[in-house]
Amino acid sequence: MDYQQDFAKEVYEKVDSGAEIKVCMQCGVCASTCPLREKMKYSPRKLWTLIRAGRRQEVLNCPDIMLCTSCYTCKVRCPRGIPVIDVMHGLAHYALEKGITPREETKKFGEAFWDSIYETGRVDEATVPIKYCLKDGMIAGLKKSLSMLDIGMALMKAKRLTPKLFIPPNFFIPGSHKIKGLKDLQKMLDKAKAMGARKEG
Amino acid sequence: MSKKICGYICKGCGIGDALNTAKLAKAAGEQGVKEFKEHDVLCSPEGVAMIQADVDAGYNALLIAACSSRVKTDEFAFGSQVLVERVSLREQVVWGLSEADEEDTLMAGEDYMRMGAIKLSKSEPPTPYQLEGEVAKAVLVVGGGVAGMNAALAAAKAGSQVILVEKEAQLGGFLGKMAKLGPQTPPYRALEDTKVDELVGKVSGLDQIKVYTGTTIDKTEGAPGNFTVSLSNGEQVRAGAIIQATGWLPYDPENLKDELAYGSNPNIVTNVQFEEKAKTGDLSGINAIAFVQCAGSRDQNHLPYCSAFCCLVSCKQAMYVKAANPEASVYVVYKDVRTPSQSEEVYREAQRQGVIFIRRDETYPSISGSGKLTLTTKDVLLNEQVDLEDLDMVVLATGMKPNNPKVVDAPLVAFGEDQEKAKQMTEEAKAQNEDWSILNLAYRQGPNLPTLKYAMPDSHFICFPYESRRTGIYTAGTVRRPMRVSQAQEDGVGAAMKAVQVIRAAEVGCAVHPRSGDETFPEFAMQRCTQCKRCTEECPFGAINEDDKANPLPNPTRCRRCGVCMGACPERIISFKNYSVDIVGSQIKSIEVPEEDEEKPRAVILVCENDALPVIDMAARMGKTWSPYFRFINVRCLGSVNLVWIADALSKGIDGVGLFGCRRGEDYQCHFIKGSEIANVRMSKISETLTRLALESDRIKVSEVGINEVETLMDILKSFQDTIDTVGPNPYKGF
Amino acid sequence: MTDDSMSQAILVVGGGMSGLSAALEAAEAGFKVVLVEKNPYLGGRVAQLHQYFPKLCPPYCGLEINFRRIRSNPRIEYYTLAEVTSVTGQPGDFTVAVKQNPRFVNEKCTGCGKCSEAVTATISNPFNYGLSQIKAAYLAHELAMPQRFVIDPSIAGTEDGQKAFQACPYGAVDLGDKGQDLTFKVSAVVWATGWTPYDPTKIEYYNYDKSPNIITNVMMERLAAPFGPTQGAIQRPGDGQAPKNVAFIQCAGSRDENNLPFCSSICCLASLKQSTYIRSQLPESKVTIYFIDIRAMDRNEDFYTKVKADEGVSFVKSKIALITPTDGGNLILEGENTTTGERFKAEHDLVVLATGMQPNTALNKIPYDVAYDDYGFVLGNQAIIGAGTVRRPSEVVTCVQDGTSAALKAISAARR
Repeated sequence: MDYQQDFAKEVYEKVDSGAEIKVCMQCGVCASTCPLREKMKYSPRKLWTLIRAGRRQEVLNCPDIMLCTSCYTCKVRCPRGIPVIDVMHGLAHYALEKGITPREETKKFGEAFWDSIYETGRVDEATVPIKYCLKDGMIAGLKKSLSMLDIGMALMKAKRLTPKLFIPPNFFIPGSHKIKGLKDLQKMLDKAKAMGARKEG
Repeated sequence: MSKKICGYICKGCGIGDALNTAKLAKAAGEQGVKEFKEHDVLCSPEGVAMIQADVDAGYNALLIAACSSRVKTDEFAFGSQVLVERVSLREQVVWGLSEADEEDTLMAGEDYMRMGAIKLSKSEPPTPYQLEGEVAKAVLVVGGGVAGMNAALAAAKAGSQVILVEKEAQLGGFLGKMAKLGPQTPPYRALEDTKVDELVGKVSGLDQIKVYTGTTIDKTEGAPGNFTVSLSNGEQVRAGAIIQATGWLPYDPENLKDELAYGSNPNIVTNVQFEEKAKTGDLSGINAIAFVQCAGSRDQNHLPYCSAFCCLVSCKQAMYVKAANPEASVYVVYKDVRTPSQSEEVYREAQRQGVIFIRRDETYPSISGSGKLTLTTKDVLLNEQVDLEDLDMVVLATGMKPNNPKVVDAPLVAFGEDQEKAKQMTEEAKAQNEDWSILNLAYRQGPNLPTLKYAMPDSHFICFPYESRRTGIYTAGTVRRPMRVSQAQEDGVGAAMKAVQVIRAAEVGCAVHPRSGDETFPEFAMQRCTQCKRCTEECPFGAINEDDKANPLPNPTRCRRCGVCMGACPERIISFKNYSVDIVGSQIKSIEVPEEDEEKPRAVILVCENDALPVIDMAARMGKTWSPYFRFINVRCLGSVNLVWIADALSKGIDGVGLFGCRRGEDYQCHFIKGSEIANVRMSKISETLTRLALESDRIKVSEVGINEVETLMDILKSFQDTIDTVGPNPYKGF
Repeated sequence: MTDDSMSQAILVVGGGMSGLSAALEAAEAGFKVVLVEKNPYLGGRVAQLHQYFPKLCPPYCGLEINFRRIRSNPRIEYYTLAEVTSVTGQPGDFTVAVKQNPRFVNEKCTGCGKCSEAVTATISNPFNYGLSQIKAAYLAHELAMPQRFVIDPSIAGTEDGQKAFQACPYGAVDLGDKGQDLTFKVSAVVWATGWTPYDPTKIEYYNYDKSPNIITNVMMERLAAPFGPTQGAIQRPGDGQAPKNVAFIQCAGSRDENNLPFCSSICCLASLKQSTYIRSQLPESKVTIYFIDIRAMDRNEDFYTKVKADEGVSFVKSKIALITPTDGGNLILEGENTTTGERFKAEHDLVVLATGMQPNTALNKIPYDVAYDDYGFVLGNQAIIGAGTVRRPSEVVTCVQDGTSAALKAISAARR
């Protein structure tokens, strides 16, 4: 039994910007604009088809939905104006909400991201990936960062990463300056986290 | 009217330098143009004024030896009662023969002068054909659907009386059967009312439009400006022009029993049946429904063409379901979504409303189930086989067939020597013809409009979509090709334009497309007719009827002036005032043929003025040159070439005859549809005769030349010249 | 209807297929028609096409018939190089101001070509979409109607201009030509100004301006045309080599909310047609058509069927997401084959962008109160009668149909 509409409706209603995917005409432009195209099992296009086809498990467990780097290229180019990144993030968030973690790394990356903001009040493209790479320890981190060189290059092409970041990570993590009023931001973030938890609960 | 002839030679554009104008004038003098004037630039205001002064002084037949008849037409036009014959010295002599020696160039110039002069001497100004009695000015519209009603309203608005005949009990056609129209106006998202009652009201409310419902046509006799139409109610009406807007027939779903299980479950319906449900019933009970696109269309076993409206209809019908039950699951199973132009927005809107589009492959989905239905299809985009289950209904988006009987032309009588094959093909063609009729034309060539592919009754569907092969009868709307409502509306108006126009042409006494405005028409010297029927059989437009004794009964207002009848007539009894077997024959005979020992062969090339003449002009202006032994003569269409001209040429010692015309065959470009093909068939016959006379059949060459094919033209000319050199002099030279 | 009752004139703006049809059909019904065309020749976009689909016949063939109809019809006067500057009044009583730009060649021109021989300056040939240069004194194209030369304004005041003037034996070169302002009182106005190919530089990721070997479909027509920049030899503009592996990219701008949200409706068939140009001229070459949906409506489906049967033409359902030129002049296309899910990179040596139709009314509004849709197409039932591609993207047959119906609407307005 395919194309049961329950899951599609769930996505339309509960996932951020989920209803926007209705107008997808399956051109596939999103797939090839994505800097992570080599890493993704499915393209956003294919994911939308799977959603329409009612493949709940396949979609929510798909690591692809957590790969989006927010480069915005797909969103800008989608001929039907679908905010692809919003939907991708929406799906990832929705999966996590449902207790599904399709991709442990992304979760770690998210934590690194959060930590960076929480600790310094900033997030820069240099710090977060490095912190993320180092989450599993120094050696594994080096390996990981090298394995992701292609993604970095693709991001660079998409003008989403500046080359200086490709100085190999050394023992000194280039620190970000803390912002003024970090304390206030942290208060806000605490509150946001609490609100998020309430909503999910 | 007595003819006062004067010739004019232009010395501009190099003519004066290349040619001895006195000798040119002398040559023309041999063929009846005695008076001559020269001018340095004949097309200049001074040159034109000089001619105009002569016209004012009573000269009414002018030989203008200057440039091609295709240029400077405004300068050299002096009204329809002043005959003008142009000699193309610039293109065909000065430019085209720029590499020839002086003697050969002059001989060519002299021949062209003789040919022009004899044609002018033998031509008469036209006397426009006038129908007997009063010209019928009403427009008869057959079919009261979208196209027909719009045609009727438009014609009425333009001042015509209209007779509208509809076979159903009420006007409206399919529009009347629709629940809603798809989005038509910006932003192209909302369903719209059909407003059919308003339209019917307008049509019925106008005094100028006489509506007959529940009526069909028993018989249509006559010709543009004079049709007499017998209606099924016993009445007879007169009309000047006819618009056939008989719409479409839904493709018969019974044919889809095997492929799409039609008939196996009452909930498998066609889009037409679903529309009816939407109009009369409640769709809110539908929880799941699938539309199957291309149900029969784009299928070599059913309708090979795309029906062009079904994608949008399914979008619309999907919206009906969504409007009745927003929670319903609605699927459209398609091959390509074809929502052209602004209607792309309709596709988007259907999607926005939650309609799911599933792309399938060439294989039909399988549909099964006695209660709820299951549809299994290859989902190309998922790259899997998928099952849609628990469907309340499956709608087959069946296509449209023109509501017009199919008429396949019998192939022309001869196929070279293979008479058996010809016979067989004729039988095959006949077998394909459908034996029902809408207009019941009392025409020698049959009761229906000839059709091209798929029973669509047109003849030049790209450039001249309204031109049917029955003058004064135009088709509009879906009978012409699959189209949407908005297109059919416009199409009706366009057909009304053509109807209004043909009635005026009948009044004025001139031709319609493509020789629009031509006031000549074929005249028959009946006392010499042998009732051979060739003219009545070969006329591409069915213009000529026959009486019981097989005498031709011409209908000049049906005639397009191509001259195919003239080419067909073995007795040479058909002629136009400025174009006849005698005139062209005399032109050929006026060519001076040098003795064999002079080694100056001659070939006459009969050139279709529609495509072949322009390409010759173009070649000349591009600096291409050809043999000075060729002599070009313009013809209206290759179909007008009479075999006697070939005999005239060969018996005079001319070494070869070429016929250059338009592309023939399935994708013909011949503006008179069959002319080029007919010429080819006739020439295949003559080659037998030539062989019997010990003349090489290579001496006759029929070629197709496209209007922009300069290189092809040059190749053909070159190879023809080589052929003539190879076969050697015509043995009849000097006889 | 007789000629006498037809004193009211109709003005048709645009001498392409729609405008020609409107003008001719009205004139042949006995009405006076003024036809205004901004190019120096009649025929519009179709004059630049090599062949029509699906018959693969030359557009000149039908144009020549229409030109002959004009030549033999005293009721039509036409003005080339002319544009409408204002329209006032209402149906039945319009006043239309027309600016005719200087041609610098008057009606004494015999088309002999001496001026062209004399001048040395060249200009980018607009008829060939800039794919070639042409002398600054030129005939717009081989079958141009009228057959009258044009002198480009850039040389009018130069020594070259003088050379042209001196070379003309007929006094046809008029370097002081200022053009003229004309006013027409007419009862109806038909607007048929046609379309412009969508600007491919607006689709940034196709890098149109980064490689000469990325061309548009209208340029492909010129490359295949016997009187085009290459005399019909299909070559890569970059190096003059015959392409071996050509890609057509459908919906290059069309069906795209970032560009033209509507479907341009002709590009599928145009690419199918152009694939036959390549395959017939270069039988060793391969063609790939990248598409979303193939839209070959009504009997044009037969043509699609025919092209599909050619093994040298393949179809990939994919909207191309990126074109990257290589150092060797080739192009790398990236996309997702949506039927397999595979993301591919494909190298081609010539890429044809099937760019769509933008209505000229989206670029230049009618100088009158007229309603348009969001895309700039003219709506129906208005004081000014739109015809052809200013109303919707359409192929030739629909334009003729639309021009014909516009003629009747104009006549009806004239009768009021």
